[in-house]
Amino acid sequence: MRTGRLVLAAFASLRRFKLRSAAMVVGSFVGVAALTLVVSVGGGVERKVLSTVRQIFGERSVLVVAGGSNLLTGPRAGAARLTLEDLEAVAREVPQVEAWDAQQILPAAPIRRAGPSTTGEGGPSATARVVGQTERSPRVWSRTASGGAFFDAAAVSSSARVVVIGETVARELFGSEDPVDSEILVGPVSFRVVGVLERFGTDVHGMDRDDEVVVPLTTAMRRLLNVDTIAGAKLLVRSSARTEAVGREVARVLRERHGLPPGRPDDFMLITDVQVRKMVGNVQRVLFLFLPLAAGVSLLAGGAISAALMLSSVSARVSEIGIRRAVGARPEDIRLQFLLESASAALTGAVAGVAVGAALAELAARRMQLGSVLSVRAVLLGLLASLAVGLAAGVLPARRAAALPPAEALAARG
Amino acid sequence: MIELRDLRKTYTPKGSATVRALDGVSLRIERGELLAIVGASGSGKSTLLNVLGLLDLPTSGGVLYDGRDVTGLSPREQARLRNEKIGFVFQAFHLLPRSTARENVELPLLYSERRSIDSLAERALEIVGLADRAGHRPSELSGGQQQRVAIARALVNEPDLVLADEPTGNLDSRTAGEILELFAKLNAAGRTIVVVTHDAGVAKACGRTVRIEDGRIASDGRA
Ligand SMILES: Nc1ncnc2c1ncn2[C@@H]1O[C@H](COP(=O)(O)OP(=O)(O)OP(=O)(O)O)[C@@H](O)[C@H]1O
Ligand SMILES: [Mg+2]
Repeated sequence: MRTGRLVLAAFASLRRFKLRSAAMVVGSFVGVAALTLVVSVGGGVERKVLSTVRQIFGERSVLVVAGGSNLLTGPRAGAARLTLEDLEAVAREVPQVEAWDAQQILPAAPIRRAGPSTTGEGGPSATARVVGQTERSPRVWSRTASGGAFFDAAAVSSSARVVVIGETVARELFGSEDPVDSEILVGPVSFRVVGVLERFGTDVHGMDRDDEVVVPLTTAMRRLLNVDTIAGAKLLVRSSARTEAVGREVARVLRERHGLPPGRPDDFMLITDVQVRKMVGNVQRVLFLFLPLAAGVSLLAGGAISAALMLSSVSARVSEIGIRRAVGARPEDIRLQFLLESASAALTGAVAGVAVGAALAELAARRMQLGSVLSVRAVLLGLLASLAVGLAAGVLPARRAAALPPAEALAARG
Repeated sequence: MIELRDLRKTYTPKGSATVRALDGVSLRIERGELLAIVGASGSGKSTLLNVLGLLDLPTSGGVLYDGRDVTGLSPREQARLRNEKIGFVFQAFHLLPRSTARENVELPLLYSERRSIDSLAERALEIVGLADRAGHRPSELSGGQQQRVAIARALVNEPDLVLADEPTGNLDSRTAGEILELFAKLNAAGRTIVVVTHDAGVAKACGRTVRIEDGRIASDGRA
């Protein structure tokens, strides 16, 4: 009976101090919303980075990149020569290499559907990245054709004009039609579509990896780029424990073939899982140190607002505490009242903060194509933190006030 | 009913000499008395009333309710005693400014062990003649009306003892007279009432007057 009355009275009291209650709610709302947003999005980004890295890299991989070149964006001016023969030599001389695929890249090329009209005008067109690869690409990159088939070794050795197109390109050029066996123009060269690439999605750089087409490496080199170098290659190593050693072997072979004397730096770049783990570690440090730190700061700022308000609330209400004590409130009744007031204000703000933070996180996640990111951990952390701030800020001073002799509390101003 | 035994209360404010607010007060108050405590400002009247009502503890000495010393009770037991046995009226009214008259009067009931508190506040407001102002906030009431709300609050839990510290100190003489009449009526209905006052008229209306000087009882006379 008595407790029920006290609980109701606490809520009535919150209503009476509307402005201050609202400000307390806002204080906890801001912090919790920021925390939920940052931790959720951070977790989503981390998952995305890790899955993409695993997709591209895998545990048993060594990447070879031509000096000054970038695997995904193609050769740069002055790039050192890395050739198909270099890689063939590596595969021959390093027995730990189980399989390999080399790449050459044309970062953007106009792609058109070859129309029925003889002029070749009027068909739907797109711009996409063109990647030249060998028939071993599906195995080495773990990405094959989902419709039709990937081209074979014969297509590579004969520089055949066949192409496997990404889903985005397929949609832009063919809509819902089946593109297999259709003709497309990559630049001025016509190709026959033999397959559609497995969906990949967006990679860590925000690049749509379905917006690309894959042609035989030799075709890309001779017919599209007119080069005799490659941009890079990916080697699969027999045992994941040996990638470092294999990396050293590969470097030795390449330096020898490029005639680099000792002391001269490599004119290529090797990436093994040691480097990748270091990169992932950097990403994780940002996500799990700096972002939560930022969120923690906002939570603290919100908490400080609530705390200041609760403190001023209690000190402005010492005489109220005196009155309540005079008419028979026990010290623990006062404590209960302030506990309920501060906890319910903090929790109201926290719940709203979680809702808004989660909504913003989902929105951000959708834009970044992260999938669903809401983190239960963030939600719980936010609720608990705001509750702790509310309690510490409200209940401790109330407790002190409740312990005063009522005569002293009554004598207080306010 | 109540016995005060050799009460002493000293204050030692920071950086000043010790003040003996109560310096050996012994007093018996019988059930049904209407007692006035008078004396110069600073003589210790409020201190005495606070100690009597367990709003403050004496430095030494005893406060006996029905023969039992209550100064050693836990804060929890003292709170219950204040709630059930004592009603307070203060010079500054001490109403909660954001609560209505009814909510203010209900305050002691909130902390009581009663099962139902229905209509008790209305009844108390009726006794003080403010049944029609139950929904008003203190700022919407005159000083006299606010003090009557405070008296209704003191009465609502039907205490044996009402302690009033200069209840008419903030009121004009006509309103003060009304409050005094109210006390007389309550006393006639059997309540024990102790009033601290500066007002000679108030003291004269009481059956017994205790004069305090420098924390001691200087005189104790019945009319
Ligand atoms: N909290 C306190 N700290 C220090 N001294 C105090 C305190 N309360 C009261 N005193 C001192 O104790 C003495 C008695 O005070 P008390 O309030 O009882 O006087 P009073 O008779 O009620 O006076 P008044 O008629 O002005 O209300 C005074 O000298 C006062 O200064
Ligand atoms: Mg006084």
